Amino acid sequence: MGPEVILLVLVVGTALAFDFTNGFHDTANAMATSIATGALKPKVAVALSAVLNLVGAFLSVQVALTVTNAVVHIQDDSGAPQSRFLADHGHDLLMIVLAGLVGGIVWNLLTWLLGLPSSSSHALFGGLIGATIAGLGFSGVNWTGDGTKLDGVVGKVILPALMSPVLAALVAGVGTWMIYKITSAVSDRFKETGFRWGQIASASLVSLAHGTNDAQKTMGVITLALIASGQWTDTSSIPFWVKLSCATAIALGTYLGGWRIIRTLGKGLVEISSPQGMAAESASAAVILASSHLGFALSTTHVATGSILGTGLGRPGAQVRWAVAGRMLVAWCITLPSAALVGAAMWWLGHLVGGVGGGVLIVVVLVGLAAYLFSRSRRTPVGADNVNDEWAGHAQPTREPANV
Amino acid sequence: MLDLFLQAAWKVLVAGLVLGAGLPAVFAVGVRLSAAGVGATTVPAPGPRAGYRVAGVLCFVVVALAVAVGITVIVAAGFGKMVSFEHVFPTIVPKA
Repeated sequence: MGPEVILLVLVVGTALAFDFTNGFHDTANAMATSIATGALKPKVAVALSAVLNLVGAFLSVQVALTVTNAVVHIQDDSGAPQSRFLADHGHDLLMIVLAGLVGGIVWNLLTWLLGLPSSSSHALFGGLIGATIAGLGFSGVNWTGDGTKLDGVVGKVILPALMSPVLAALVAGVGTWMIYKITSAVSDRFKETGFRWGQIASASLVSLAHGTNDAQKTMGVITLALIASGQWTDTSSIPFWVKLSCATAIALGTYLGGWRIIRTLGKGLVEISSPQGMAAESASAAVILASSHLGFALSTTHVATGSILGTGLGRPGAQVRWAVAGRMLVAWCITLPSAALVGAAMWWLGHLVGGVGGGVLIVVVLVGLAAYLFSRSRRTPVGADNVNDEWAGHAQPTREPANV
Repeated sequence: MLDLFLQAAWKVLVAGLVLGAGLPAVFAVGVRLSAAGVGATTVPAPGPRAGYRVAGVLCFVVVALAVAVGITVIVAAGFGKMVSFEHVFPTIVPKA
């Protein structure tokens, strides 16, 4: 096995690891509300979401090869790597992609440890942007596209991130308000059970849409790496094993369940009831589907969080924990630059060592950081058993229900 | 850029309100009617209960059909197609 193959294997492995973190980071987007209201048992909810993500990933037959074009200039319009990267089995491109992926994973793990729902797409894009700036300079980044369509960091990342939570919150708020208005004469018990089915169905739709959107990104990144290193030449299809492994990675991640984030979204932000859960997930599904139908890139996480917030605002007398919302907002604002910093640092580290050794070192650092973050998470474990415990002002579940 | 963005955001908002808030409202009407059909409301509803139950089921059917269209949109997009609402009735067409 030549050194270039080793680097390629590292990139593929790291991309799958990213896909896995993408899965567990985003389980909450679809299932936090169903778990919080008890519509689904925690384990059943993550299993359902995992299956739907798997199905969704296989449904994305269309090639998502140009995924990095939204933010950086390393591919041409057909999805092939730019010719300047083809020397030396695509070493330069592989290093940028590898460093970018590491940036994305590290940020995903850190926000998971803190129980913060942040966008996995922003983490990936941030990592890629940072690694590109480090490797190619600022001109390597696609800041605004050519101005004829929504493109670049501004058009595909920053503007949608500002707008999507607001849109989702508005839709969910209106939906919640109408639901409570319409069903005000219905007994609480009937209401709670009646809306459970709607809640499960709408949450399932969100999971399916997530699988089709997010698994594609990793498939595109892996195929790009394969083309750059000369292992694959077709820009109109992707190898079946890539599809299979990405679908499996995101589904396994989803099944693992990012319990810390599920807890924050389901219990921390708003105390949620079945009708609110249905309103939130319907709003999420509608906004995500409508925007992808219109070719408008949104982060599932921003939409889901906005929806849950909106459902708290739309229900008369419901309480929104603004401190929790504020923490999330801060996390969103710093996701892109933080992942970019890690991506850039990783690129420099790899560049310092040079060659394949640089790639190996980056991955070793990633494994070390991941192990550290995981061991930190064991100090305050959150799992299926305590995800719904009373929220006592902090993400850490308490065994005794707090007196609030 | 900002123009393009606001146009797109506006469309998403309208579609979101119609589908993401409108459909749950129809579902809520279904719950309301079904509740009247089994006497689970605070004020008893006039007229035969069976009628309320049928009307409630009709509401749920409308929502289920809309969800089926939603799934078709996802699946079609995955296969490089899109669902057109040009003729009101959704049809699958090649992506524009």
